Amino acid sequence: MITIKHLSKRFEKLEVLKDINLEVENGEVITILGPSGSGKSTLLRCLNGLEDMASGEIEVAGSTVNTEDSKKKQLNAYRQIRLHSGMVFQQFNLYPHKTVLGNVIEALLTVRKWSKEKATKKGEALLERVGLSEKRDVYPSRLSGGQQQRVAIARALAVEPEVMLFDEPTSALDPELVGEVLAVIKELAKEGMTMVIVTHEMEFAREVADRVIFMDEGVVVEQGTPDSFFNQPKTERARKFLNKM
Amino acid sequence: MDIVIDHLPFLFQGAYYTLLITVISMLFGSIIAAIVAVARLKGAPPIRWIARAYVSIIRGTPTLVQIIIVYYGLVDFGIRLQPLPAAIIALSISIGAYLSETLRGALQSIPKGQMEAAYASGLTPVQTMRRIIFPQAIRIAIPPAGNTFIGMLKETSLVSVITVTELLRSAQLLIAQYYVYMPFYLSIALMYWIMSTGFSFLLERWEKKLSIYV
Repeated sequence: MITIKHLSKRFEKLEVLKDINLEVENGEVITILGPSGSGKSTLLRCLNGLEDMASGEIEVAGSTVNTEDSKKKQLNAYRQIRLHSGMVFQQFNLYPHKTVLGNVIEALLTVRKWSKEKATKKGEALLERVGLSEKRDVYPSRLSGGQQQRVAIARALAVEPEVMLFDEPTSALDPELVGEVLAVIKELAKEGMTMVIVTHEMEFAREVADRVIFMDEGVVVEQGTPDSFFNQPKTERARKFLNKM
Repeated sequence: MDIVIDHLPFLFQGAYYTLLITVISMLFGSIIAAIVAVARLKGAPPIRWIARAYVSIIRGTPTLVQIIIVYYGLVDFGIRLQPLPAAIIALSISIGAYLSETLRGALQSIPKGQMEAAYASGLTPVQTMRRIIFPQAIRIAIPPAGNTFIGMLKETSLVSVITVTELLRSAQLLIAQYYVYMPFYLSIALMYWIMSTGFSFLLERWEKKLSIYV
């Protein structure tokens, strides 16, 4: 579903990703862990083109972007990727001028050109899935952080993505609201959705992930099953990181 | 006072032209502002540079001078405009520069996450602008733009110098005929005030309507 080859990324002179190579299987749930500044969010954002790669190649949901390709070819491939993936952000990024339902069906109306009725039907089903049917006509500012993030998940699911990307989905939430968001993500995992989740929630990572990836200073330091990573980390850096948690 | 009442229809006609010029210039000015604001934020370097120059020149010169250049100056290039179109063109160009600055600030104030969320769900940059960024920016731009519009309503009095018979000039014509000053001037001052207040009222209602989501 996802293949990353020799991905590097720089901000000015700072090298934030150094020759990353990764593969994610269909239906696999990956969590990326690591200290802040380790490049994990940047890696995730490279997967749908919110960040440009400096060099390397990615393949997501059947579309390939190589930095050697022409700018136009890259943009087209990123667009294809975006049409087949969903992203959930730390700050939710809901559209404040649209209702909950309006947020969820925006891409269906604008990108897929669905009729209002068809999109509404789909949107209502998605809101039911995240348990927010009764909020369909409310504006996001009236929702709690947890509810906003669930709407954001429903919005990302609207286009029936083949892969979901989560960028610290619970980091901006009050502790008591984290659970409801994680429950929705767990549900998706159960349904077999391919997911890449950048998170600081260790317990959650352990529970939901098929594979844990540990990053530090722009490199993948270690990867493995949750059990092996949390119980017997192979590297000193991973041990240090886990001890601090 | 009787003399004013006798000539109210003539003054109303002047007020009508004042409103007409204001509304049409606002409309064209807003379109210019939207294009210039986007050009300054997203355009390639030469386009950005042209947009900046336009804003700088218009804001750095008196509106009166701009009106005179459009009406009298363009004649040298063989462009002979009627007073009313000349007034509308000059004022649209003028207000477009001020509004574009307001709009640019509003566009920049929309968090980057909005754009990212839209891009991530497959919207093109144009769709993102039209569906996500612009509607939010307009809401933010309304109060300052409202001030510009009301300023505009009053600035229409400047086009009296190119013989557009708007409110001020209709009073001047009556005064030239009757040699009565104060009643006419006070009447049109009152009419300007009523129109400005009306505009403020409409803008406030619009702002309220759009702020439903806050």
